[in-house]
Amino acid sequence: MEADMDMPDLEELEWMESHGLPEEEEDEYAYFDDPEDERLTPAGGGVDQPRVPQQETTVAPAKPADEVSEGNLKRPPPPPPLEQQEEERSKRIHVDREDSGDEDWLRYSPPPVVEVVAEKTISRFASDIRGDCMPVTAPNGERVYAKVATDGLDGGGTGGARQRTRISKPNFDYKGLLSESFHSLTSRAEQEALAKALQESTDTQNFEGCPATPLVTEQLWVEKYSPNSFTELLSDEHTNREVLLWLKQWDSCVFGSHIRATSDDVLSSLRRHSSAIQKNSSNRHFFSKSKGGHVMSQDNMLQNAHGSNSEDLTSSFNKRSLTDNAPEQKVLLLCGPPGLGKTTLAHVAAKHCGYHVVEINASDDRSASSIEPKILDVIQMNSIMSDSKPKCLVIDEIDGSLGDGKGAVEVILKMINAEKNNSSNSSNNTDDTQVRKSSKKGHKIPKLMRPVICICNDLYAPALRQLRQVAKVHMFVQPTISRVVNRIKYICKKEGFKTSPIALSALAEYTECDIRSCLNTLQFLNKKREALNISGFDSQVIGRKDMSKSILDVWKQVLQKKRLKRIEKADSNCSRDKDIGSLFSLISNRGDYDVTMDGIHENFLKLSYHDPMLQKTVKCLDILGVSDSLMQYVYRTQQMSLHAYQPPIAITISQLVAQVEKPNIEWPKALQRCRAMLLEKKDKLKTWQNQMSPLISRHLSVESFVEDIASPFLHIISPSSLRPVALNLLSEREKDELVQLVDTMVSYSITYRNTKLESQERINGSMLPPDVPSLTLDPSINDIINFKGYQSEHIGLSLAMKQVLVHEVEKQKIIKDSAGKLLNQVNEGGKRNDVSTSDKTSALVSTKGISKSNPTLKTQLNVASSMSGKDLAPAKKRSNHGMNFFDRFRKERPVDAKTHNDAGQQAATILRDSRPLIFKYNEGFTNAVKRPVKHASRNDDDGMT
Amino acid sequence: MLWVDKYRPKTLDKVTVHDQVAQNLKKLVAEQDCPHLLFYGPSGSGKKTLVMALVKQMFGAGAEKVKMENKTWKIDTGSRTIEIELAMLSSAHHVEMNPSDAGFQDRYVVQEVIKEMAKNRPIDAKGKRAFKVLILNEVDKLSREAQHSLRRTMEKYSASCRLILCCNSSSKVTEAVRSRCLNVRVNAPSEEQIVQVLEFIGKKENLSLPFGFAARIAAQSNRNLRRAILFFETCKVQQYPFASNQVAPPLDWEQYVSEIAADVMKEQSPKRLYAVRQKFYELLVNCIPPETILKVEHKMRLGSKAIFHLEAFVAKFMSIYKEFLVSSFG
Repeated sequence: MEADMDMPDLEELEWMESHGLPEEEEDEYAYFDDPEDERLTPAGGGVDQPRVPQQETTVAPAKPADEVSEGNLKRPPPPPPLEQQEEERSKRIHVDREDSGDEDWLRYSPPPVVEVVAEKTISRFASDIRGDCMPVTAPNGERVYAKVATDGLDGGGTGGARQRTRISKPNFDYKGLLSESFHSLTSRAEQEALAKALQESTDTQNFEGCPATPLVTEQLWVEKYSPNSFTELLSDEHTNREVLLWLKQWDSCVFGSHIRATSDDVLSSLRRHSSAIQKNSSNRHFFSKSKGGHVMSQDNMLQNAHGSNSEDLTSSFNKRSLTDNAPEQKVLLLCGPPGLGKTTLAHVAAKHCGYHVVEINASDDRSASSIEPKILDVIQMNSIMSDSKPKCLVIDEIDGSLGDGKGAVEVILKMINAEKNNSSNSSNNTDDTQVRKSSKKGHKIPKLMRPVICICNDLYAPALRQLRQVAKVHMFVQPTISRVVNRIKYICKKEGFKTSPIALSALAEYTECDIRSCLNTLQFLNKKREALNISGFDSQVIGRKDMSKSILDVWKQVLQKKRLKRIEKADSNCSRDKDIGSLFSLISNRGDYDVTMDGIHENFLKLSYHDPMLQKTVKCLDILGVSDSLMQYVYRTQQMSLHAYQPPIAITISQLVAQVEKPNIEWPKALQRCRAMLLEKKDKLKTWQNQMSPLISRHLSVESFVEDIASPFLHIISPSSLRPVALNLLSEREKDELVQLVDTMVSYSITYRNTKLESQERINGSMLPPDVPSLTLDPSINDIINFKGYQSEHIGLSLAMKQVLVHEVEKQKIIKDSAGKLLNQVNEGGKRNDVSTSDKTSALVSTKGISKSNPTLKTQLNVASSMSGKDLAPAKKRSNHGMNFFDRFRKERPVDAKTHNDAGQQAATILRDSRPLIFKYNEGFTNAVKRPVKHASRNDDDGMT
Repeated sequence: MLWVDKYRPKTLDKVTVHDQVAQNLKKLVAEQDCPHLLFYGPSGSGKKTLVMALVKQMFGAGAEKVKMENKTWKIDTGSRTIEIELAMLSSAHHVEMNPSDAGFQDRYVVQEVIKEMAKNRPIDAKGKRAFKVLILNEVDKLSREAQHSLRRTMEKYSASCRLILCCNSSSKVTEAVRSRCLNVRVNAPSEEQIVQVLEFIGKKENLSLPFGFAARIAAQSNRNLRRAILFFETCKVQQYPFASNQVAPPLDWEQYVSEIAADVMKEQSPKRLYAVRQKFYELLVNCIPPETILKVEHKMRLGSKAIFHLEAFVAKFMSIYKEFLVSSFG
């Protein structure tokens, strides 16, 4: 305001000077005044002041104020001018300047007056004044009498007329009442308009802009002081620049190359800046996606600091970019917590680059069908008026609701994809108009020809998953507190709201640099005429944002102690309370206590807290146990209100173990992994159990297997006494063992299976060289006892032995199957019912091997297999003679097959059995030498072993 | 076939360890009126063997002809249909199943499946028994809701169906269910009994046992008959003419637990606790129930994250032990 008033004043004064001084008569003549007039024509005011009578008393300085307050006060005509007018004149100008410099001169502040006037116009005593007078009371209670001007002096009638005449006074040359003043008025108006226009233009061109006038109090401060220019932005400088750079990259596409020839320089300078930052931060791969030439130029620029050849390179880049138009990533995705100025940045940057911003936010209808034409409008069309700016689409709150936001995302994705497909066609469309033409003509799916900025709070919202991949993503980080505070301070000063910087910074911290929330709070307090005090944050009106942080943040907060500042240390109790409060709300806002506790449990032991006697650890684990029981109780009884007791548990742990150092938080995978693997293993065991014969599996449970059976079982199925030699070389007892082993394996449905050696085993240096297939247990029950870092005592069988076993087991299975069928037939025949299935099978399997030790089985077999004692006797005899292992089964089959045959066939069998053995049966399953063998020779073999 | 299975008594008469119980059961069967039964006792004591022998006593050999079924039950709960796959062994006279396999949906198993089976009278007209038998394993693992639904079923269909429940600890079976059953406690066999059994097997297998060998195995087995017989067989496989001082190789998981214990004794610090945690995870992953690792921890049974409580125990021990060390050795 000062400036506003000042400028015209000075100019006018100068103008006056250049036109020569007014003549005295006219000056004097103009002497009676009105405050408004004086304000309107300050020059006149300046001239006016010296006319105060010189004889005035010391009170005189206050008097003009009185005059001013009384608009219709009539003043006595000034006395005739005195000598030395030139000097007076210069003085007056000087005074005038001072006056106008004083803000409050309108409000009764006494102008420094050069007392020249001889006649008394104002006096403390009415008697001093000649003629009519009227009393005037000053604000300080002083009462004076002012002389009422008579008509004769100025000829002015009532106020209006007088004003006009007075206005005309400074422009002394002119005769008419209004002619001159009109000129001056219009010229001033013009000047003002010009100034305004200038200012506006600077605003849009992003030079320092002035905030709106502070007198409009109804506006929200947030809007009132929202940054209008790029430099005013509060958000991180780096982010700002990157956004701007991205927008600038559109220039050649949107505006055409000829319009913004300079933008390339801007681009490169911007790029240089941001790339320098990038080198440091290196978390944004902004350029990694761009074309090679681009990167090269950039690198070179970095290398040659003087950049002699960089110009060539950039120019080459420019040429390329002209043809390539839009930036690589067509969509910019800004994300970050609320109140940091994402929307503002988008708007400001777009405006800065000369776009007309079109915003689509959550309040609009955003279903896919309705949003598509809207986006198309923005992206494809230019408005008819030639001077209008191209549009830039800002889609705010894109993650807002899944259903709605998705519509927009889909449309944009469609366009981007179309773009990719048609990229070859689009290469020659350098000009805006051309592009539009081609899109009108050809492609059904329009291309994205305008910058699109999407804004979201949660980058990982499911709706944004695809967009995230194609868009250029910028995370907003919190601005530094000092930056926020500076801005707030400025605003407060503007608003005349008294605050202390400490309180402001506390506020900023409290709201997590959410400047919107800060300003709203301040404005609210301002309205309430309350001061901002730090201690009252919790109790005061300031609303705490009910935001839930990511679970990782929660863990970090719990496990990391805040570094106490020195001030806070003094009243550590207070800050501790605050910490507890904030932790409580943090955890309860998150709500996911199960995972929260898991994470704490996973990570707290890794902290380096001082705990020589482990008391803290004990406490922590105890309390975690309580939390677990509580959780379980809540789930069982559905009393969700008990969840309220979970946060204090976490807080207790935090108090116990939290350290100042930054904890290395890990996601609690172990527990989940444990659960998953447990299920998997249980499942495996169950399947295995189902494969077994029900008569065995009914006595097994997963628990009993793991606890009791697994280890002995593994020992049992890998007897150390078995040698991997030819079967006919085995001694009698070894054969028995083998038979038993095979039987066990079959009844527990275990076998060995070919597996490639796993890399781990190879490292462990197992007995086999790599690439040799090894045989492992199937199902792999040995996994059950494979604890990490534990060397079990089990000795696996040798490969050769395993191979033998595989064969045997396979064979046995087949035999058993057929035997089972057979026995069922026998049972159905109703010969004997009380022989259990298992007895029979086992009897069949182990007839020969353990026949001696198991007389009951033998008799059962006799009954079951309807064979004469004659049949069995040779079999027994043969086994006593040390028959080959294979022979027994070879023998058995015919025996089984015979059970339901007639006697004639039996006779034939007996006949055949009396002969030397012929290896005919089960050819596919034997790896023995096939040749007729005589009994005598076989006995010799046995003797040798 | 393992000796455990091979020498499992098939009839009540042959039962040697719990012969008193067996005789009482036999009397029950003879009196034609058999109540619902609840067998409880530690694992490896012979519950299942008794039950099987009992069933055989009731129905004769027909009960031994069993088939395994993996049936999928579709249960309409009103709002949705649940599919539960359940494996069961069934003969003409009885059905065995493990309802707790259905996990948290065990309630539906009890409400629908068991009810369905209990409702139907056995078809076998000429059979002397007018009821069929449902054998439910691991009843203590049933949820509370399932157990509550069970009790009404037990009363309502008692005419056509008898339930035989098996569990490790009767305290986890609700009072209501327990009071509806004849509770049969199957004790863990004493070491003398185990020695008897081992000697019996040795005789059958024609093995000569050195003096004190059976007793040693019995002691090692922790009064678990199944374990004892398995140890016995392991010893036999490893080295037959038994050495006088031969012992069975220890169970791997027990070995691992003792490793953990050694770790704990060696160093007491949060870091070591963290290492111990990883080992606990290993155990848990390999299906070792936490109750087995740590027998007396009430809170663990109340909660669901066993690792918390295991660790709490270890930490407590570490703390006390360290305090002891410091106080005694400075």
